[in-house]
Amino acid sequence: MKSQAKLIVVGGGLAGLMAAIRLAEGGYTVDLFSIVPCRRSHSVCAQGGINASVNTKGEGDSPRMHFEETVYGGDFLANQPLVMGMCEAAPEIVYLLDRLGVAFNRTPEGNLDFRRFGGTRFHRTAFAGSTTGQQMVYALDEQVRRLEAQGLINRFEGWEFLSAVMEEGSRVRGIVAIQLASMEIRAFRADAVIMATGGVGMIFGRSTNSTICTGSAAGALYEQGAWYANGEFIQVHPTAIPGEDKNRLMSEAIRGEGGRVWTYKNGKPWYFLEEMYPKYGNLVPRDIASRAIFKVCRQDKLGVDGKDVVYLDISHLDKNMLTKKLGGVIEIYEKFVGDDPRKVPMRVFPSVHYTMGGLYVTNDHMTNIPGLLAAGECDYQYHGANRLGANSLLSCVYGGQVAARTAIQYVEALESSSESIGAKLFDQEVKKQKDRNDQLMRSRGKENPYHLWEEMAAAMTEHVTVIRKNDGLKAADQKLTELQERVKDVNLNDLSEWTNQPLIFTRELENMLLLARVIAQGALRRDESRGAHYKPDFPERNDKDWLKTTLAAYAPEGPKFSYEKVDISLMKPRERKY
Amino acid sequence: MPKMDFIQVKVKRQANPRLKPYWEEYRVKYRPYMNIITVLQELRKNPHTFDNRPSSVIAWEASCLEEVCGTCTMVINGRVRQACSALVDQLGESITIEPMTKFPVVRDLVVDRSVIFRSLKRLKTWVPVDGTHALGPGPKMGPDEALERYEMSKCIACGCCMEVCPQINERSEFVGAAAINQVRLFNSHPTGKVIERERLKALMEKGGIEDCGNAQNCVKACPKEIPLVTSIADVNRQMTLNLLDLLKK
Amino acid sequence: MTPTSTRSFWLRRLHSLSGVFPIGAFLLEHMFTNSFILQGPEAYNEKIEFLRHLPYVAVLEIVFIGLPILYHAGYGIYVWMTGKVNLRWYPYAQNWLYVLQRWTGVMALVYIGVHVYETRIVNALYGTEVSFARMQEIVSQPQMFWFYVIGLLAVCFHFANGLWGFCVSWGMTIGPKSQRAAGIFSGILGLTIFGAGLNALIYLIQ
Repeated sequence: MKSQAKLIVVGGGLAGLMAAIRLAEGGYTVDLFSIVPCRRSHSVCAQGGINASVNTKGEGDSPRMHFEETVYGGDFLANQPLVMGMCEAAPEIVYLLDRLGVAFNRTPEGNLDFRRFGGTRFHRTAFAGSTTGQQMVYALDEQVRRLEAQGLINRFEGWEFLSAVMEEGSRVRGIVAIQLASMEIRAFRADAVIMATGGVGMIFGRSTNSTICTGSAAGALYEQGAWYANGEFIQVHPTAIPGEDKNRLMSEAIRGEGGRVWTYKNGKPWYFLEEMYPKYGNLVPRDIASRAIFKVCRQDKLGVDGKDVVYLDISHLDKNMLTKKLGGVIEIYEKFVGDDPRKVPMRVFPSVHYTMGGLYVTNDHMTNIPGLLAAGECDYQYHGANRLGANSLLSCVYGGQVAARTAIQYVEALESSSESIGAKLFDQEVKKQKDRNDQLMRSRGKENPYHLWEEMAAAMTEHVTVIRKNDGLKAADQKLTELQERVKDVNLNDLSEWTNQPLIFTRELENMLLLARVIAQGALRRDESRGAHYKPDFPERNDKDWLKTTLAAYAPEGPKFSYEKVDISLMKPRERKY
Repeated sequence: MPKMDFIQVKVKRQANPRLKPYWEEYRVKYRPYMNIITVLQELRKNPHTFDNRPSSVIAWEASCLEEVCGTCTMVINGRVRQACSALVDQLGESITIEPMTKFPVVRDLVVDRSVIFRSLKRLKTWVPVDGTHALGPGPKMGPDEALERYEMSKCIACGCCMEVCPQINERSEFVGAAAINQVRLFNSHPTGKVIERERLKALMEKGGIEDCGNAQNCVKACPKEIPLVTSIADVNRQMTLNLLDLLKK
Repeated sequence: MTPTSTRSFWLRRLHSLSGVFPIGAFLLEHMFTNSFILQGPEAYNEKIEFLRHLPYVAVLEIVFIGLPILYHAGYGIYVWMTGKVNLRWYPYAQNWLYVLQRWTGVMALVYIGVHVYETRIVNALYGTEVSFARMQEIVSQPQMFWFYVIGLLAVCFHFANGLWGFCVSWGMTIGPKSQRAAGIFSGILGLTIFGAGLNALIYLIQ
């Protein structure tokens, strides 16, 4: 099988790039699909760094500590052996990136420098200024280019995934994708497909995510029968600049380097995180910091100027150090707000940031559909109910490596190649997708897809973020059902068959609505508080009933839920207190 | 800041690569803190011209919206920049938006910048590693050297330096400052250096470094403030130092 | 599609080199010799006689002056045609210098053409000797005087700015600081030779 096997990777962020490199190094030809050129993937937005316990500061850090803090930070919802594997691989991954030329910050001796991040008391985070994700994407993108020059990888940039081609009742045999410029729809054969399509921030409208993070591909696969796991776990990052078009992340690294969060109380600065959590102070995990800021602003009404804003302050720190280690984020604040954070405290508020949930995968990153794998933010592993800062870059690279290994094992065991299958299967799927496009092009309804998106985002942000109440969640789901009806009455305002963006967006919107319902209903069912999922009416974690993974399977009337045991074989759950 | 109720927006549109471009005028309700992205978002929610004629949705691209991906680069009020960081309050109430002019237009404000990535492939801007498997740590490097490489490595491949370069046009296929900067970046890496001459040779080919006219607009236009002129001069020095070897082949 | 020839690289490097050596070197020598005008007709004519009777003077003039200027001009015009001015939206100082370098190049070419015609070609055709008197005759016409002043200015600018560009193109000045220093040096050098030339011109019409 090996000689003619062909693989597809969908997504050109860190996980996808890493997977593609490993597949090509294994001697396979890879078709790599990405909506935007890989260099523009959302991974470039990751600022702070990547965790690896190499204990260069003699603090007694170890992969075991990293594992324990990750599991603990994730409120015990992560499958532990996988997390352990990731934490053990982390040092090698950082060394690899170093070899690939990532411009990590260095110590005077010339070693990699590490900084502190949320949820840990160790210096464990390697970083390249405050654009670590960007630097990592570039390094891997260049390696892909090297392999491309050798003819092992074909890039399809500017193509969007529409659906998988599946043999009835068995396995994935390829994908159907659309070229965003020409609107050409084509089937691509493959013996295995790795999805690395990122998170779903766009479901919430304004988030820290890029506009390409719609989760559309995961939504389409969910509709085709892939399970979606832990959808209700959406991380809200405590510090972002609220904006009209997006909320711009102000990295946790700012607090890692000594930034303090405060607001006025009785006319004096009140460092509420330090007061509430003396041990971790400003570096409590994100879910906890976000809830504290919500409480201070909404419940105590102590936001700056009575608004939903608190201060993130670095004006007391050394200016030289700030430029060297946080230049990138400082620049973002200066450009988009106009103030110099070295002089005045930054005004921030929590924002939707990361999708802990995602496509269900087993320990080796295979989904419930044979031949379909997932890695990176679009899968659900590693982070449990809340992700620790600087673990996302790690899980993307590690997930990509594991998925590639599994994919190779899978195709080597395959008995028949996708090339041996008749064209009919592929033609049918292409026709199905073309028909859907034609249908949308003919639709002359009254709904504007962008308005519908805003309505969805408003409902999701209001009811399904930091504080969740069951009646609110029900209202959100009702709104989503209504929108699913209204989207059928769409008007694209564009009849062109060339680069028709409203058409693509409407298809993404339909998929977003599918996943939004998984998120809202998953949250509604989970009557407990765990990690990022917080219900004031059920403020405690409930391991007896809810120490389990949520699985959603598509059904036309709405998601069907089941639950799976979490693998806690390495560490006994205990109360999470910071 | 001028007080305004509406912003007049003129957009240069083009239905596809074969058709002629034309201008269309729009009116968008002003809100504080708008940027060009929010202006374009408003227009797709209500695709009507200023005199209320229905218009098709303008095609444009964006992704990160924090000036780190380079996607939303366009020509705004005559100058190339990222739409996400183009704040309306600094642009005034009459705004023109055009696609970049040095790259083929796909539709409206969407251009095809794939030439940038083709250049990188030709110039071998990668570290030629044996593989991505566990082979231990990378070479040691002092903090200042690392910082210098970091400054070069921030390039978002937006194409601003190419857009403002008088040496890039239909009569010249100059590779542009960004690509040359990448050559410098990888030639400065201890392992990347191994194929330094191959990169320099590639830069000697037609459209290579010799086409730089020293207008130095690139360094002014770069949104990431990369020392592009320094990079070009540095690669020029590498060329000079290797001149005899380069002449051989 | 893929460009494989490195010819244009070498041609461009040769163009850059020829501008400084021998053309620039000749310019310095020429302006220095001209300054003998200030010592009166005899001194000046003597220098011209000396130069005219150098051994192999024809070979020297063709190989080290004529051909380099023709090459530099010819390739320069090609370079000029590959550029596209964009001062309207990007009116930076350096961009102005880029444009001026091209304009002054063309101006210098016209000026040198006229200058060579009036001295050497007229001499060849009609036997008019190149001398203090002949130069006086030319520049005493007001329009010719101004033509010479502008031509001289163009040549000096083109040389000085070209020298600065040469330092960048060959990697001698890399960072902004060294480029600024080279700019100041080139500027002073350009002004100096312009001053020397202007002084000689003014002396001729007094």
